[in-house]
Amino acid sequence: MSEQAQLTNQMRDLVDKTIQRSMKGIDYVRSGSAQVGLTPKEVILEQGTMRLYHYEPVVDEVYRIPLLIVMATTNKGYLFDILPGQSMVEYLLKEGFDVFMIDWAPPTMQERGLGLEDYTQGFLPDCIEAVQEVTGEHDINIMGYCQGGVLSLIYASTHPDGPLKNLVCLTTPIDMHQMGLFRLWSNEEYMDLDNMVETLGIIPAEFITNSFEMLRPAQRTAGQLRLWDQLWNDDFVKSYRAFQRWGDETLPLPGEYHRDCTRDLMWENKFFKGELKQRGKTANLANVKIPLMSVMAQHDHIAPYEATKPLLDLVGSEDKEELVLKGGHVSLIAGPNAMKRMWPPVNAWLAERSV
Amino acid sequence: MADKPPTQQDFSELVTQWERAFNEISNQVMGTDEFSRSMNQWQKTQLEFQKNFSQAMAQQLANFNMPSRDDVITVSEQLMEIDARLTRIEKALARTNAGFDAPAAKKAGPKRTRKPPEKNVDGGVS
Repeated sequence: MSEQAQLTNQMRDLVDKTIQRSMKGIDYVRSGSAQVGLTPKEVILEQGTMRLYHYEPVVDEVYRIPLLIVMATTNKGYLFDILPGQSMVEYLLKEGFDVFMIDWAPPTMQERGLGLEDYTQGFLPDCIEAVQEVTGEHDINIMGYCQGGVLSLIYASTHPDGPLKNLVCLTTPIDMHQMGLFRLWSNEEYMDLDNMVETLGIIPAEFITNSFEMLRPAQRTAGQLRLWDQLWNDDFVKSYRAFQRWGDETLPLPGEYHRDCTRDLMWENKFFKGELKQRGKTANLANVKIPLMSVMAQHDHIAPYEATKPLLDLVGSEDKEELVLKGGHVSLIAGPNAMKRMWPPVNAWLAERSV
Repeated sequence: MADKPPTQQDFSELVTQWERAFNEISNQVMGTDEFSRSMNQWQKTQLEFQKNFSQAMAQQLANFNMPSRDDVITVSEQLMEIDARLTRIEKALARTNAGFDAPAAKKAGPKRTRKPPEKNVDGGVS
């Protein structure tokens, strides 16, 4: 093709996209929020801020051991079920897993006193019991994401004889002194944690969102520029809106839980050191002897590689595997790259251990 | 020769480069002890203001014999709790009634006998 013809084609493409952008821009402004988390499910347990879902199986024959996904406490669980065709839950159901999920709702003022122990020694065991009751199976597999992975590990290390059979930790920070800017900003010399917890009771979602956004201050604006550029592309817009909604629906946290996490995990790094006590039990990672897979993202700005890496060295498991993948904290879990990079190896690892 | 018009790829790369550079500079500024100290000090001041304002407002409302924001939140949360309990009771009653009408066996789930695909010699799955 001649250079002139090439130039003409490029100009035509540019004009075409500009027209489409204007038309679709109006649709974008008019339309409501994105439809997310659409895979059919049933709430089988509800305790204040905690919800336990059971997703409807889509195959006639499932693996014997059910899979419980434990979502991070700061965000909604539909990240795992973001859009039809891009949903990890949907993928796992099709692959033959019986999938459950612990999701979180904004805590009420009455729940301001919920501490870390209430999550690891209350909510988690209650959910496991509910899954056992529904499935009739004693054994259970857990997949925890970020702080959900931390809660799962604390549960596992305080219940070494428990029903937990296999554990997958996704971007789960262990050495909190390697948490980069988060660690610096929560410096105990400057932060008045007690005053904050007592004044607010519930740590507002804006506080959490701002902390995340401060790590990548240009991300939102860059996202909006990319949206403008791609407004003609329906798939991009659909995906952008879903992730935007997820990011905007960050959850508030009970004050006491925030205090426990900041003081015990971040400042004193007790879990990493094996000194964390939960209702009289020591949460020592060496107690975790079940098969474990740790999946980390190379460009994770929230749970950096240095913070997640020590997990495998600290657990007592013989069957353990580390998987470091390209991507960031969120793109590791959901989106087109996650579908290619993360889902298949996790599926294969779990499948052979779920019979 | 005329310059080529910017392509979509160029724009996307430009945004990525700008984003990366801006984040890097911001992180350098925010990654200092001084920034952490200032941020926490600002937060402390805000909290103090919020606390004092809430106390003063609550006092004024009490003087006028009116409920404060905290009182309203407490009552609304209690109402939500009662509502949730009623929903649970309704569901339980519906299940009980359904049980009386047709005491059928519990809905059977899928068989739990699935086996993982077998691995080929070359490591793939069949």
